[in-house]
Formats: sequence, structure tokens, C-alpha cells
Amino acid sequence: MVSDQNIQSATYELPLAEALPDDTDKMVSGNPLPESLLKRNVQWFCQFRWIVIAILISFGLLGLSPGLMGRFGMRPPGAWPFITGAALIVTNLIFLFFARAKTCPVTTMLNLWGQITTDLVVLTVVVYFVGSLETNIAFAYLFHIVLSCVFFSRRHSLIVTIMAIGMFAVSTTAEYLLDLLPPTSIFISPPPGREASAEPAVLIWNFYLAVGIWLVVWYLASHLSSMVRQRDFDLAQTNRRLMAAQEERSRHMLATTHQLKAPFAAIYSNAQLLQQGLCGPIPDEAMQVVQRISSRCKRLTAEIQKMLQLANLSSASQATLPRTRIVSTDLLLWCISQIEPIAQERDITLKADMRPVPMMGTEDHFKMLFMNLLANAVTYSHRDGEVHIACRPGPNSEPIVTISDHGIGIPAEKLPRIFEEHYRTQEAVQHNKESSGLGLSIVKQVAQMYKIHIRVESRSGSGTTFELRFPVAG
Amino acid sequence: MAYVLIVDDDEDFASTAAIVLRKEGHDVEIELSTEDAEKHMEKRTPDLVVLDVMFPEDDSAGFELARFMRHKSETLKKVPILMLTAINTKFPLGFGTKDIDNDWLPVADFLEKPVEFDVLRHKVSALLNVG
Repeated sequence: MVSDQNIQSATYELPLAEALPDDTDKMVSGNPLPESLLKRNVQWFCQFRWIVIAILISFGLLGLSPGLMGRFGMRPPGAWPFITGAALIVTNLIFLFFARAKTCPVTTMLNLWGQITTDLVVLTVVVYFVGSLETNIAFAYLFHIVLSCVFFSRRHSLIVTIMAIGMFAVSTTAEYLLDLLPPTSIFISPPPGREASAEPAVLIWNFYLAVGIWLVVWYLASHLSSMVRQRDFDLAQTNRRLMAAQEERSRHMLATTHQLKAPFAAIYSNAQLLQQGLCGPIPDEAMQVVQRISSRCKRLTAEIQKMLQLANLSSASQATLPRTRIVSTDLLLWCISQIEPIAQERDITLKADMRPVPMMGTEDHFKMLFMNLLANAVTYSHRDGEVHIACRPGPNSEPIVTISDHGIGIPAEKLPRIFEEHYRTQEAVQHNKESSGLGLSIVKQVAQMYKIHIRVESRSGSGTTFELRFPVAG
Repeated sequence: MAYVLIVDDDEDFASTAAIVLRKEGHDVEIELSTEDAEKHMEKRTPDLVVLDVMFPEDDSAGFELARFMRHKSETLKKVPILMLTAINTKFPLGFGTKDIDNDWLPVADFLEKPVEFDVLRHKVSALLNVG
């Protein structure tokens, strides 16, 4: 072989297997939760705040009755519960408005940050008035620390914790150290034995104890939250890999099946040439062999056809096909016309009792569904038998289609398996060698796609009835 | 007797279909690609084209040839096209007469693979008589 010097040599480098998109960046970025979940939690935050507002205002209203407060050793709080409650009402309405408006992950996070910051400021005011270091109210900051560990990354939740420590420190310093704020407490006087709580050493101890506990809670909650998020992320990645593997397997199966189709179709065509004498006469014995070849090819081709139909139905693209309004009688009459020639060959009478009922779906899918059921009804009927096709509206105007035969029937213990791929009962095999065992799998696939309820009733030797209940056409 | 051009990359099928149609008295030729078919038809206009859809490297080359014949060629626009269809990965639900459209699918009729020779004879005869 003489090589052409004018043809340039070309090279191609086989790329390595495609990796899945790497999501580790998302984990590190500070938006660990999906946007829809964040949005739901932003609104939940707002709803929970109404409870806090109700508690503040109730406390303020209780304070209007000094006698009642005095009974518990508490002084009337004055206006601060109403002022803080009002501030929370206004800010809550603003945050709720923005939460319900069209959002993106950035605005949702800003909303959350806004809520937490506002809450911390208002909480600091409440803590001051209740008694920063005389009571345990400072532990209320823990709510926001823990919530920030759930919603934010470790770094951001630490920022929230530091903000809480900072505001608490500013308030207590102004109150106890710099005397910028008058000391307050909701208690009239310290409870007996609690006078020591006013001592500086005790106050300092209480301050650092509170801060220490917040930091420990932050550390534990953020660590646990981080572990759970990592696990979620790993599970999501594993799930994506599994789905990708499943899709790849389906694609491979589809491609392989498709490649088999053409060779079998070619074998069948050539066998037909011989059968029809188009290549001259052949001996009877040879003709029998050719007929067997032809028959097996026809069966295999039909089986490949069904496998392709089933694989195509399972593919994601089929679920997105547009659905249209279909008149049940038109569709069923078309299917009956297609099955009529086969029914006539076996002297089987098709009887229809149909009322038009609208259905929503893809016409070709419903044709597959009915054709498979009708083909089964005709195939598994005895000669001279009858197949009944009925269609009527149900109690909620849902379409109900019934296809019944008086054929070989299905034994009760085998009924649950009839929708399995390639499953055929022994009775079915004896009655008809040519079936692929895929017809009812196709029926099942279409039923699942369109949420059609199927009920099968059968008696061995007497026949089978399939009742299909379609969703109401909206 | 009519001149029929079969355009299909499956040489086995094309040969068997050609044998069947020659027995009916037609003059039949085969092209295995749409590019060769286009050049062939410029030299000799067929009375009927039996055209497959999928070809190597182009899953819808058949459609493109049909559209070329209908819309871009004065000599070929009236030649009836019998399109060979099949359920496959690209066209999961196959095609039917409802899909015939002068712009998108300008063909006269469909023939589903695997082909029954009686159906092939019947459809070819019907299209040639109409022509």
C-alpha cells in the first residue's frame, strides 16, 4: 500500500473518564444548605418570632398589674417589653415581606443575617432590663448561637457567637463597670442568700461562665452540624453517582438493543426472500428450516421492539413529553381497529361498551398501554372467545377502562408477578410461545408515569379483567 | 415499470428490498449514503425513493435529504418518498402519518422496519400509481 504524502497525520488523545462535578466548593463557601431549605427556615424564623413577641407583650401586660408582679417578687417592667415587642413586630414584618418576595441564595442569606443581628440587639436590651448577671437570662443567646451553627458554616456561626459575646460584654460593661447604664433587674430585691450575686467577683464569674458556656456550645453544635452536613453532602454525591451509573447503564442497554435490531431485521428479510420463492424453489425440508429461522427472527425483533419501548419509557426524556387532552373512545376505537385483524385470525369477537371520557396524557403512551392489554386479552383467549372493552366515567368523573377476556386466566399466587419484566406463567408459555414477557412491564411503566391505578382480577381457566382508573383530566 | 432508488446504509436490507421490487418488474438501484444518493439523483431522477432515516454520523440524514428534495430541487420536488421508520433511541415512539408535514417531514408515506414484503409491495405500488 502506497501512502499519500499529501495527507497530514492527525492525532487524538483519549480523555480520562469524566468526573462528576465537584461540589466541595459549595461546602466551603458558607452556603451549606440548599436555597429552598434556607428559604423555608427564614420564614419559620419569622413565624417563631411571633411567639417571642407574644411572650414580651404578655409580660408587659402582666406588669400593668403591680400587685400580681409583687407577689412573685418582681417589679413592673414598665414600657420596655412593649417597645422591644413593637421593634420586633416591625422588623419581623419587613423580614417576612422580603422572605416571600422573589429571592436568590444571596438575599436569603442576607435576610437570615439581618434577622439574627436584629434579634441579638433586641435580646441584649431584654437581657439588660431583666438583669444581665443577676439572672440566667443571658443563656437566651444560646438560641441564636445554636441556630447559626445549623444554618451557617463554622466560620460564620463563630462570628454570630462573637457578636453575641460582644453585645453582652458592651451591655454589662456599660452597666457594671462604666456606670453608663443604671443597673436594672426584674426582681424587686435579690432573693435571700443571693445578696452575694452583687459582688464584683461573682459578676465577673457569671460573665465568664456565660461566655465560656456559649463558646463550648458553639464548638459542639458547629462540629456536630458540620459532621451532619458533610454526611449529607457525601450521601448526595453517592446518590448522584448511582443515578449517573443507572443512566449510563440504560443508555448502554438502549444502544446495544438498537444495534441488534438491524442484523435481526436483515436476517428476517433474507429468510422471507427464500420463503416467498424469490430466489427459486427450495426443498421442503429446507423450507421448514427457513420458516423456523424466519419465525425466531420475527419473535426476536418483536422482543427487541418491546425492549426499546420499555427502555425509552424509562428514560427521563419521556416524562417531559407534552400531555394533551385525549378522548377515551377515539383512542380505544383506534386500538381496537389495530387488534381486529389478529382477533379475526383466532375467531375472537371484540365487544365494546364505551362512553367518551376525557383523559390527559401522551397519546402514543396510552396507545402502548391499551395495545399491550388488548393484545394479551386476544392472545390468551380461547378460539371463538370474546374480549370486552368498556369505558365509563367513575364517581369523580375519572375515566375507568376495563378490558376483560374469558381465556386461560392467571393463578392467584402468580398474579403479583405478572408486571415483572420477562415474567411469564407456565400456562402462558404453553398457550403462546411467542410472547416476550414485556407487555405488562410496559403497561406498568406507563401506569406509573401517569398515576393510573390498575386492578387485576383473574380466575385460572376462566379469564382475566384489567380495570384501569385514570386521574381526572383537569 | 418504474425506476426506484433505495437509500439505506443497511446493505443487507437494501439488497433484499431490491430483489423484491425487481421481481415486481421495477428497475431498482441502491445508494448507501444520502450524499451519494443526491449525486445519483442529479444524473437520473427516480420515480420513487425508499429512504431510511438514520445514517452513520447523522441520525436524521434521511430527513435532511427529504427536505432537500422537497424544497431545494426543482427536478426532485415531486418524487414520492417512502420513509423507513423504526422505534429506536433517537425516535422512541416511531413515526406515523400524523407526523407528515410539508416542512418538517415532507414524505408521502412510512414503512416500518422490520419490513413485511407484502406491505412494501403494496405501498410502492400505491405511491407509483398516485404518481
